[in-house]
Amino acid sequence: MNVLEVENISKHYRQGGTRIEAVRSVSLTVREGEVLAFLGPNGAGKTTTIKMIAGLIEPHTGQVGIAGINPHRHPQALRKVGAVLEGNRNLYWRLTPEENLAYFGVLKGLTRSQAKRRAATLLERFELTEKRKTAVQNLSRGMQQKLAIATAIIHDPLLLLLDEPTLGLDVEATQTVKALIREIAQEGRAILLTTHQLDIAEELSDRVAIIQKGEIVAQAPTQELIRQFSGTHYVIEIEGELTFEQRETLAAIEATIESDRVVSIRGTEALYQALGILKPLPLVRVKRDQSSLTEIFLKLVRNEV
Amino acid sequence: MLKLFLAEFRRSWTQFIRYPFEAIGGIFITTSIFYGLFLSAKYVTGTAFQLGDRFDAIVIGYVLWTLILFIMTEVATGLQYEAQTGTLEQIFLSPYGAVLVFFVRAIASLTRQLLIIGVILAIIMGLTGSRLTFPPILILPLITVLMSAYGLAFMMGSLALLLKRVQQVLGILQFGLLFILATPAESWTGWGQVARWTIPMTGSAGLLRDVMAREAGLNWLELGLAVLNGAVYLAVGLLLFRFCERQAKKQGKLSGY
Repeated sequence: MNVLEVENISKHYRQGGTRIEAVRSVSLTVREGEVLAFLGPNGAGKTTTIKMIAGLIEPHTGQVGIAGINPHRHPQALRKVGAVLEGNRNLYWRLTPEENLAYFGVLKGLTRSQAKRRAATLLERFELTEKRKTAVQNLSRGMQQKLAIATAIIHDPLLLLLDEPTLGLDVEATQTVKALIREIAQEGRAILLTTHQLDIAEELSDRVAIIQKGEIVAQAPTQELIRQFSGTHYVIEIEGELTFEQRETLAAIEATIESDRVVSIRGTEALYQALGILKPLPLVRVKRDQSSLTEIFLKLVRNEV
Repeated sequence: MLKLFLAEFRRSWTQFIRYPFEAIGGIFITTSIFYGLFLSAKYVTGTAFQLGDRFDAIVIGYVLWTLILFIMTEVATGLQYEAQTGTLEQIFLSPYGAVLVFFVRAIASLTRQLLIIGVILAIIMGLTGSRLTFPPILILPLITVLMSAYGLAFMMGSLALLLKRVQQVLGILQFGLLFILATPAESWTGWGQVARWTIPMTGSAGLLRDVMAREAGLNWLELGLAVLNGAVYLAVGLLLFRFCERQAKKQGKLSGY
């Protein structure tokens, strides 16, 4: 089931008499339990799109549906949305984690007792129980971010919008937040995630949408996109020395000897030929040289495809 | 609505008392200012204020003055502060809608402020040995003043939504307030009377003076006009806020403060 359906939303602004197209006919869907990485360079229109989805910016054209309800016309759709919009700046710093969760729970439509029960569960799950009575401003950056995410899901939303959730976190905190995002998606929530850390996007996302100058330039399942951009390039790592004859024969089938122990070759047929030539040298690894999401992203935003 | 009010009150109160030294310091400073003013009460009330020289009237006058100043700046400054701390967008993501949240929040802040003022007055009474007495009927014109004040506060909040920074306007408004509250508009005649019931709070402030300083009874017809004045300003303030919220969403201004 599609939790989020965005159809052809557009937004333009006027600046000094010039019309600036911030977002042009963007369409997206996110299913329950799916993580969509929404990527793009600075100023590409990511945040404007997210804010249009959250009902904070009204699109000039197009529709947003959260579980079939338009948040711009029916505020009750917002009961189904949680958002961490700008890093950890989504909390009252003078309040404790417990107090923040209880307050935001009520703000999102829960009763106080529901909010308190849910707060206790989330504090436990996010390993914040010990810090439940510490003012947010005295928590570490990682804890603040965990709390911001817990606050965003206090009302058990179907859709979670995460704008740069790992920005400024250290390695350990990043790992924790990544694990939490994975867990939250596994509960069946749809997650729309923006990040400039493309390795994280690659690791967490089921699908990727790349926006450039307000337009979606690619939208596909993450692994499919990687396959699509990966050639049939193989890297063979061997143990031992290549003989002169082996080098000559490998060169004849257009294999490249990158170092004494690494041979790269294009095409599956050539791969098997190379393996025959290398026999009986022990193999350390044979790997298909895949494009990373970072390479794909750069190709797309630089219009190299 | 009640659960939202209680949540807002708890949030507001907890934030105030989180650092007790700061809270006590704030109360101490305000009490000192109040006490200083009371000691020179005759001097202060001699010219501009027409509340009379009774201690009770002076107290009510100052409480009203500080309350209205607090209310007028509450919505706009609160909005700007929340924008800076990054919680503003979360309020706009509430299914209650921003207008209701800000309205309930304003009432919660007022309740907190009244409690603080109550503490300050208790301290002052303890220090001066005076006892504060005022006719309960005073509450009625007071409510109409607060309604108009909130109307203006939401108008300022509306400006803050679109213009983002409104400190200068708030500063100018405080001078306007002095005129509105201190001018004895009840002595105006002809079109002056129309102005009295059209300008926010002027008529209500006159009724307060009647009850507190002149010990006159409450003119119920005038109270009706004051209620109308307060209701109109409050409704216009809330509607304008709603309108500006939509404009801010259309113009993409609900961020980047």
